[in-house]
Amino acid sequence: MLLEVEGLCVNYGHIEAIRDITFGVEEGTVTTLIGANGAGKTTTLKTLSGLRKVRAGKVIFDGTDITDMSPEKRVKMGLSQSPEGRGVFPGMTVRENLDMGGFVRRDKAGLAADLDRVMALFPRLNERISQVAGTMSGGEQQMLAIGRALMARPRVVLLDEPSMGLAPKLIQQIFAIIKEINEQGTTVLLVEQNAAQALKAADQAHVLETGELVRSGTGAELAGDDSVRAAYLGGDL
Amino acid sequence: MKERPLDFGALFGSFDNFMSYTAGGLVFGAIYALIALGYTMVYGVLQLINFAHSEVFMYGTFAVAWTFVFLHGTGRVNQSLGEALPVLLAALVAAMIVSAAIALLLERLAYRPLIKKGAPKLIALISAIGASFALAEAMGLRDRFASWVGLDDNLKNYVVPGKARDVYSNPVSIQPKGLFDIGGYSVTDVDLVVLFAALAMMVALDQFVRRTRFGRAIRATAQDPESAALMGVNSTRVVQLTFLIGGLMAGAAATLYMMKIGSTRQNAGFILGVKAFTAAVMGGIGNLRGALLGGLVLGVMENWGSAVFGSEWKDVVAFVLLVLILLVRPSGLLGESLGKARA
Repeated sequence: MLLEVEGLCVNYGHIEAIRDITFGVEEGTVTTLIGANGAGKTTTLKTLSGLRKVRAGKVIFDGTDITDMSPEKRVKMGLSQSPEGRGVFPGMTVRENLDMGGFVRRDKAGLAADLDRVMALFPRLNERISQVAGTMSGGEQQMLAIGRALMARPRVVLLDEPSMGLAPKLIQQIFAIIKEINEQGTTVLLVEQNAAQALKAADQAHVLETGELVRSGTGAELAGDDSVRAAYLGGDL
Repeated sequence: MKERPLDFGALFGSFDNFMSYTAGGLVFGAIYALIALGYTMVYGVLQLINFAHSEVFMYGTFAVAWTFVFLHGTGRVNQSLGEALPVLLAALVAAMIVSAAIALLLERLAYRPLIKKGAPKLIALISAIGASFALAEAMGLRDRFASWVGLDDNLKNYVVPGKARDVYSNPVSIQPKGLFDIGGYSVTDVDLVVLFAALAMMVALDQFVRRTRFGRAIRATAQDPESAALMGVNSTRVVQLTFLIGGLMAGAAATLYMMKIGSTRQNAGFILGVKAFTAAVMGGIGNLRGALLGGLVLGVMENWGSAVFGSEWKDVVAFVLLVLILLVRPSGLLGESLGKARA
């Protein structure tokens, strides 16, 4: 396992946001966490990146316990994230945002190569390289957020609701790119409310409900599971 | 008090008068702007008004005076700018170090513990006000400190001639030399140095924030702290860096102020701090170029105001102007926020 989460508990004040969550992310796969709003998906990802304090449990990345590691060191180890709501730096250009993605890296040649890779994945960003990110459309900002996360040259990239607020056609495009990123060798942990798309893309899938992991299986298994279909797929797929 | 009619003629009566008040205002405005940077940078990153920044500046002015005392003694002398220059440069370094040290100390003791605990911004503001008074009063009691640490009498007379709360003059009085006239105003070498030094520092800072890796980290943190952390930016370091930069700029402002004014006291930071904060808000708090513009506008407008209403009205004009500008443009002349302004 590249990433292991063991018995993770995180609180917001006195409220338990996630309770005793255990799952793993196999290297080279796409793993997805699906669930309703407020189920704890985003909290899980923030905790994996080191932005939330852990009350109990462990996070292990490539055999190293990173539970108490700073966000900075996690990025250096190869764990980066495209956050919920994109979180692009609105006053910076596309190029500056991408440079921020590689903030912890000093290898100029590697950064240049990764910039080329991101440009190839998202030709749109290439066209808009000098545009200020805050003035771009939601879809473009989403591409930028993913591209920025890739600039860290992650071994596993965490994607928090990349389809949020996007038109269906753009959603298709984003998921195609996620697949491509994975095929290029980057492990993906994907959090989604759009369960249909996420399950289709995922090798492994987990369902979160009010802070607890209630079901796990392959993407196909969960897509075929009656209760998952009823709760998250609106009946028919 | 004698009635004084509004004297628009003093300002607008001749082009010469107008230019002379404008030029004089620009020089002070440049100093306001340098101090304003400290308020605006910290606000941009923390959304916190570092009320104690005025004291960061005030300690810088004492660092300048003491540097002169230690290198010249307390005997009062007049010097031209050229003669004073070597010591002035030493004083600049000392003031920047002292001001930066005070700024970093403030961050460490008055803010970081509160921020770590997630205290509301209002609490941090109260802490800032407290720190401001504590620092100012401590400077006013420096004679006691001098006794406690057993400073020998000779040295003590240097640090505290007369009473600690009196005006403390730089022993070397820098005599400005008129270079050329703008209207009736003789532009001096001191004026030009103040203006250009302030502008140069601001351009340098602007470029630092826009072009360098650390500058980008500051802007990223100002625009989206959580995203910045996800990129591996250490927010504590960024906060320290902003306080450090604010302190360095305040130290430079203190040196220019001492060149121009030549004396200070423990409450010298207060009114200058309020003016600089006004300049920052006027220009758009969190916006570096706004601080420059706000400082210059404030300096010029209050000088114009003092021509028309009389010099005792200077501060009234400055703050009425602030209210008027905010009524029309609530986010300041150039708008808010570090880096949200176009790159």
